[in-house]
Amino acid sequence: MGNLGANARLKLGLWLLLMPLGLWLLLLIILPHFELLIFSITDPEDGAFTFEFYFEFFTEPLYWRTFLRTAVMSILATILTLIIAFPVAFYIAKMLKGRSKGIVFAMCLIPFWVSELVRTFGWMILLRESGVISNFLQWSGLAAGPVELLYTDATIMLGLVYSSMLFMVVPLVSTLDSLDDSYIEAGYDLGGTNWNVIREIVIPHAIPGIVSGCIIVFMLSLGNYLTPVLLGGKDSLWFTEQIYTQFITRFNWEQGSAFGLLLLVLSSLIVWLGLKASGQSFTKTMG
Amino acid sequence: MSKHCKIDLACENISKHFSGFTAVDNVSFTIPKGSFFSILGPSGCGKTTLLRMLAGFESPSSGDILIKQQSMLDVPPNKRPVNMVFQHLALFPTMNVEQNIGYGLRRQGVAKAEITERVAAVLARVGLADSGKKRVEQLSGGQRQRIALARCLVLNPTLLLLDEPLGALDLKLREQMKIELKSLQKEFGTTFVYITHDQSEALVMSDQIAVMNKGKFEQVGTPHQLYYQPETAFVAGFVGDSNRWHGTIISVDDSSLMLKTDDGLSFRAKVAVEQKLEKGAKVEVFVRPEAINVSRTAHSEDDNQLTCTVQTLLFDGANSQIIALEPNSGGKITVAMPQTSDFVDLKTGDQLFLNWSAAQTLGFLVESENLVSAVGA
Repeated sequence: MGNLGANARLKLGLWLLLMPLGLWLLLLIILPHFELLIFSITDPEDGAFTFEFYFEFFTEPLYWRTFLRTAVMSILATILTLIIAFPVAFYIAKMLKGRSKGIVFAMCLIPFWVSELVRTFGWMILLRESGVISNFLQWSGLAAGPVELLYTDATIMLGLVYSSMLFMVVPLVSTLDSLDDSYIEAGYDLGGTNWNVIREIVIPHAIPGIVSGCIIVFMLSLGNYLTPVLLGGKDSLWFTEQIYTQFITRFNWEQGSAFGLLLLVLSSLIVWLGLKASGQSFTKTMG
Repeated sequence: MSKHCKIDLACENISKHFSGFTAVDNVSFTIPKGSFFSILGPSGCGKTTLLRMLAGFESPSSGDILIKQQSMLDVPPNKRPVNMVFQHLALFPTMNVEQNIGYGLRRQGVAKAEITERVAAVLARVGLADSGKKRVEQLSGGQRQRIALARCLVLNPTLLLLDEPLGALDLKLREQMKIELKSLQKEFGTTFVYITHDQSEALVMSDQIAVMNKGKFEQVGTPHQLYYQPETAFVAGFVGDSNRWHGTIISVDDSSLMLKTDDGLSFRAKVAVEQKLEKGAKVEVFVRPEAINVSRTAHSEDDNQLTCTVQTLLFDGANSQIIALEPNSGGKITVAMPQTSDFVDLKTGDQLFLNWSAAQTLGFLVESENLVSAVGA
């Protein structure tokens, strides 16, 4: 009987400890999405059930093309981030030792202490028509007049890669850190070149880090609002802008809710396809 | 010239300095083709650094490494005819057994069919013919050892380096792997360079052993030579078990000397090699426990005799030892317990007569801090 009492207390303790997480999930994730779902399938006029807001997405080319463009740009941003971050992470994890390792890692981290808004404005100062780079090009005689570097897809890409770099570097550094140096040495010892060792030993080991980094960067890029709007301007055509427009400008909450849910479902679908294609499972990557 | 061709590895005066200390200090040696060469030393003696220089992961500060008369100084690790079995084996966990063994062959651009053939052949030779498709984590410790060996041997290296590969195994398996390693080495005929801090591994497997201490080779010789004719006090103390005393020389004559240990025992040691031993010189003396003849009745035919009482019995099956006390001086001596019926009922306090020859008493002169010249044999 005493044992049973102790067990019951233990259970209560466990539930109390899980409470913050449970509340967070329920109040901030599940409830709002449930609300979105209700909004998106309710006709605002008579309160009847309807799928018209979802049909709208697939029948109006502007909407689904915007989504497609957002997804393709995000995938591209993810790949670029991976290509740039991998050597950085390898350098931090394997080439540097002790103090310098911590310092370089911190140098990657420090820009992220500043808000994303401020960092994006920083890029605008550099890239706008009257900005630093434009002025330098004119001063050095490389350009005759002011050069506008903002409001192109390339600028959006630059902003996306920059703002998600850290989220790729951190998981990569931690997986590469766990790769014992003797595996790399064995790779060379048995006759491997740099490329062989990277491709056959380092990358297979780093796959979980690569996949989790890619998922994070892809989701962040897809859901990014600030960077495309500020660096891409009016024509950036990012899907999150469509959602914003529906909710705030057009006051069409039903359509906005449908878009919000579609963003969640379609992006999850893309991640799932990506995992399938790379032969990874979600639990393996996160565990 | 024909004699030279039989040398697989020659190291000429190689040194390695790191900032602040010298890991390897002017070491020279040669290893004949097909032999099992061990470098034995305590941790931190520089043996790992030496091995890493042979593999190419470190470059010597000075000196030269010659493999088959070719200098290896400018040859990167992936181009050397040398392969290494790492301390924790470093079998690639992302590949199965076949892929692990085939890795080196793929690097050499060997055709696929031939890779399959050679991998199967080497797996059969190490006795794991049906393990090709297994993942590394499915193998037992001993099987992993054999796969790590096979992964190197399939490339037919001139030299195989082994960095304490048996360290992670439990005792029983280690004993078994010692014998297996030795027979695989014989079978393949590859020159092995084995580093270890475990003297038993080195003694059992090696043709030649170099005992290394503080970056230098103390002595290079066969296991037999190191055990019975150590040239320095370090070798005498490191290889095998020994009674070890500090003492002073009482008298010297043509063929032997008398000495008295600091705790009061008196011995006779035979003079064998040239030395400058004088009365009053400080010496370090070694006598192996198994060199001492133990009996329960008095004998007097040997150079050294002691009458002792049993102070402690250390029972360890066949390796049981007796710690005996010499009552007059209070000195202690460890002897191997004879496994004869005479001593089955031996108990603490029993009287024992110990005797051994001067030839088995090794004295080394203590010159301030340094231990140099050898006495006895």
